[in-house]
Amino acid sequence: MNAIEQIINWMPALVRASGWTLALTVTSVFAALAISIFLALGKISHKPYLKYPSSAYVFFFRGTPLLMQLFFIYYALPNLVPAFTIKSRFMAAFIAFSLNVAAYLAEIIRAAIESIDKGQMEASRTLGLSYVQAMRLVIIPQAYRRMIPPICNEFIMVLKDTSLVSIIAVTDLTFQTKMIASNKASQLVYIPSMIIYLIMTGFFTIIFNKLEKKFAIYD
Amino acid sequence: MSLIRTVEISKTFGANEVMRKVSMTAEQGEVIAVIGPSGAGKSTLLRALCGLETITDGEIYIDDELLEKRSEGREVEKINSERRKEMLLRLGMVFQRFNLFPHKTARENIMLAPINVKKMSTKEAEAKANALLDRVGLSDKADEYPSRLSGGQQQRVAIARALAMEPEVMLFDEPTSALDPELVGEVLTVMSDLAKSGTSMIVVTHEMGFAREAANKVIFMCDGELAEEAPPSEFFSNPKNPRARQFLRSIL
Ligand SMILES: Nc1ncnc2c1ncn2[C@@H]1O[C@H](COP(=O)(O)OP(=O)(O)O)[C@@H](O)[C@H]1O
Ligand SMILES: [Mg+2]
Repeated sequence: MNAIEQIINWMPALVRASGWTLALTVTSVFAALAISIFLALGKISHKPYLKYPSSAYVFFFRGTPLLMQLFFIYYALPNLVPAFTIKSRFMAAFIAFSLNVAAYLAEIIRAAIESIDKGQMEASRTLGLSYVQAMRLVIIPQAYRRMIPPICNEFIMVLKDTSLVSIIAVTDLTFQTKMIASNKASQLVYIPSMIIYLIMTGFFTIIFNKLEKKFAIYD
Repeated sequence: MSLIRTVEISKTFGANEVMRKVSMTAEQGEVIAVIGPSGAGKSTLLRALCGLETITDGEIYIDDELLEKRSEGREVEKINSERRKEMLLRLGMVFQRFNLFPHKTARENIMLAPINVKKMSTKEAEAKANALLDRVGLSDKADEYPSRLSGGQQQRVAIARALAMEPEVMLFDEPTSALDPELVGEVLTVMSDLAKSGTSMIVVTHEMGFAREAANKVIFMCDGELAEEAPPSEFFSNPKNPRARQFLRSIL
């Protein structure tokens, strides 16, 4: 069998595995976005009971290795607290990634919000808007555009980092590649796999560039 | 009845007392010009009035009702926060750097607060915004974003935006200081028209012509203190305070 035929034979399995890589990336980034908005607002808040827990969360998830967090959720937690047993490997990976990525996105969102001129909040307040209204109607809509580029960047990072989940045997692209490489004793498989990663990251880079252009209207 | 009355209000930042025992009143229909050298505490005074800065000591009354009373930073009398918000709505603020919302058009800038704070209908708010834009001479710029307006036009929109909340008194913090010289006039014209129509105003300004012509009262601040208070004719011809005399000499 020549190399081309070999690669064509592996394709269905690799594409299926890529589906899992994409699914994990997209679901965990969306879940992380939802969590991160609260973390970011918490960190900005002057209320100690919001500020300190949010800061501690971000400190923890950014300050420890993602792989360690994944192991902790999948292996350690069920032993320590049986109620937190997660049977599905994908679910464990999803939880670890969502929690971890949320910390990074929170920093991106916080930085974007804090980059908005203080005069915007002051003008809002003197017009009678509440803090929450000012955030919702004035600050976040402006910060929004500034967070899009770094969030897109983070998405690409996550897409690549998901290869870590192969270590707990989630059947993502990296896991499938390793399987093929060991079973068929063929190291060639790494090449089409990396090309698939490139196609995915390239695709999203193009989409995100379009998105960024679209959001630059009123400058 | 006074619109605004302060009793010995002070403000410290850390160990730095930037406003010291300022007592002043603003009456209905009065136009007050606040002048003084940079760093005198003029902005701090306006910001304390409109709630952007918390005073350390003293009392502030709006329409003779207590807004804030503090001693050494602590609240002496607890004011209901809803009530406080209502009272602060009676003050409109115009900033040196306009602070228009860049993601909203001129008209949307004006409509935002009436809709979200006063719960006005969109239609009503739009009619109001159009009338105000007409009043500041910018009907043709209603759909422009701030980045497409000149500084003078932005400031006029900012004035219209503050007026949309129908405040009892308008506060201006150096409204023309960030403008190119040729754009100062159009903003001062709008402000003079407001003054003529009976709007109560407190204006921190370096425009002595405006202070002389439009104001009924001049407040001179220096080193955080209210050093002199007089009608403009008196203040400009015969200032009593030596620092005021020096200040006037330095700028005229
Ligand atoms: N947020 C702040 N923190 C520390 N010092 C401040 C702050 N705001 C103003 N000041 C100081 O207070 C003094 C008075 O400032 P300000 O009221 O802005 O004066 P003016 O408007 O008359 O130029 C200045 O010395 C300024 O440095
Ligand atoms: Mg000032």
